[in-house]
Amino acid sequence: MHPATEKLIGALRSELSLEVRPCDYYQRGYHYEIEVEAGQLRTLAAILLQEKMFLVFVGGLHVKPAMRIIYQFASYERACRLLVRVPVAADNSLPTISDIYQGANWHERETRDFYGVNFVGHPYLKPLILAEEDVDLKPLLKKEADLKDLAEVSWTAPEAAESKTDQKRAELS
Amino acid sequence: MKIAVENNRNRADLVPAQDVPLDNHYYLNMGPQHPSTHGVLRVLLEMDGEYVVEAQPVLGYGHRMQEKMAEHKNWMAFMPNTGRMDYAAALPYNHGFVALFERLCGIEVPARAEYIRVITSELNRIVSHHLWLGAFLLDLGAFTPILYTFDDREQVLDILEDVTGSRLTYCYFRVGGVCRDIDDKFVERTRAFIKRQRERFEVYNKLVTGNIIFIKRAEGVGVISADMAMRYGVTGPVLRGSGIAYDIRKNEPYSIYPQLDFEIPTGTNGDSLDRYMVRLQEIEQSLRIIEQALDQLPKGPCLGKVPKKLKLPNGDGSFAVEAARGELTYYLVSGGGEIPYRLKIRVPSYSNLSVLPELGRGILLADLVTSMGSMDLVIPEIDR
Repeated sequence: MHPATEKLIGALRSELSLEVRPCDYYQRGYHYEIEVEAGQLRTLAAILLQEKMFLVFVGGLHVKPAMRIIYQFASYERACRLLVRVPVAADNSLPTISDIYQGANWHERETRDFYGVNFVGHPYLKPLILAEEDVDLKPLLKKEADLKDLAEVSWTAPEAAESKTDQKRAELS
Repeated sequence: MKIAVENNRNRADLVPAQDVPLDNHYYLNMGPQHPSTHGVLRVLLEMDGEYVVEAQPVLGYGHRMQEKMAEHKNWMAFMPNTGRMDYAAALPYNHGFVALFERLCGIEVPARAEYIRVITSELNRIVSHHLWLGAFLLDLGAFTPILYTFDDREQVLDILEDVTGSRLTYCYFRVGGVCRDIDDKFVERTRAFIKRQRERFEVYNKLVTGNIIFIKRAEGVGVISADMAMRYGVTGPVLRGSGIAYDIRKNEPYSIYPQLDFEIPTGTNGDSLDRYMVRLQEIEQSLRIIEQALDQLPKGPCLGKVPKKLKLPNGDGSFAVEAARGELTYYLVSGGGEIPYRLKIRVPSYSNLSVLPELGRGILLADLVTSMGSMDLVIPEIDR
């Protein structure tokens, strides 16, 4: 493991006592997954910025029982991609990270457009991609019939195609 | 006239300052139809004379809700959509999408197909840089370069049209390979193009690079520091102009890129001139990649065995590729079956443009045009 990655994971474990799970990069395309509570999100973002990670994207995921917001971070220097999942609070809100990562400003506005999540502390939470009159459209919310349970859209270990991809993985590492 | 605009990088209120108008400020709409926004983008400008106080992009004019469409289609039905976001370089968008499915489902891709993918993707990158080069200089008021770059661009488009069937919105890659094999004619024409393009660099340099007017317009204009890039998630040639050698093809190599010898050109100051230089050098690097790939091109099938109904496993995965404008990431969540439960498309121009409010603060309007031109924006990609 790269020393900087080791330091980052160490910081996340010691300061937030998070479980940082390593993933099968070949199949999933990211190295680590982290689940955090809404209250820890801003501390997490501050640590990641300090450790020179950049924000790849912010996206929503509508599942039962609670909506999740997905953050992906990566490094400019080494192959290290983190996927962070945060369940939104009961009042459909999350703290903003747009003052830590200014790039999150637009991503959070877009997520509000598509899912109606309220990012508390965002300086300008107005429609970005959608038109102003579509402020309550929330086009990516699932219908009740299509809504899946979180367990249904999560990996169940061990990963399915592992044996087939072992050789490819060795070639790339 | 000097204005007192503090370029405070920690300012979080990146909003149009319309609530507090000052007497001598006025508002200007650049776009939605403006020649230098290269698409339907509006920039709401608060101006003080010729100086920009606040530049706020207004997005969404070309929004098609690609992510919603993806939740209703299997991979094959969504393929044409991938070619319609970044219309200037569609093949990397094809590539990221099929590779995501291949990785999730464990599909093998024949070696020849990987080579064809890389060759055509790099040709597409060159085409995209040609388009940018002409359009960027047109923004600066130089009309001649676009005639030269479009001449070169046509050469490649003809080659790509023969094999992919289209000139712009490609839908050429398939899960498991590519849909048509390349032939000797393709190889021959591509080699001829490489030779021709190498001779053209001299023309570009004589016409543009050494031109004092161009240098005065581009040098020191629209500076993006490495720190600023990180806070916004800037990628691609814009980032590399700021001196960070981040390229997915090297950092998280995919396809056959690890087997090829090429360099990642970087700049030092992060200004418009650096971004120009980086892209010019990238054309040469792409030529090197194509040359090596053509030399090593293996024989065999160009499409592997793929089940008719491609069942996704329950779970999620992402795949990042280096598109012509930077990092393109598809993130897919599946609840089983053929159709994604959720597909997030992270596009490079979106994060690159989000720098603009901070970048534009206190600069001349003409410099804002230069900065935006040097970012190589494709608006349908931002709006999706």
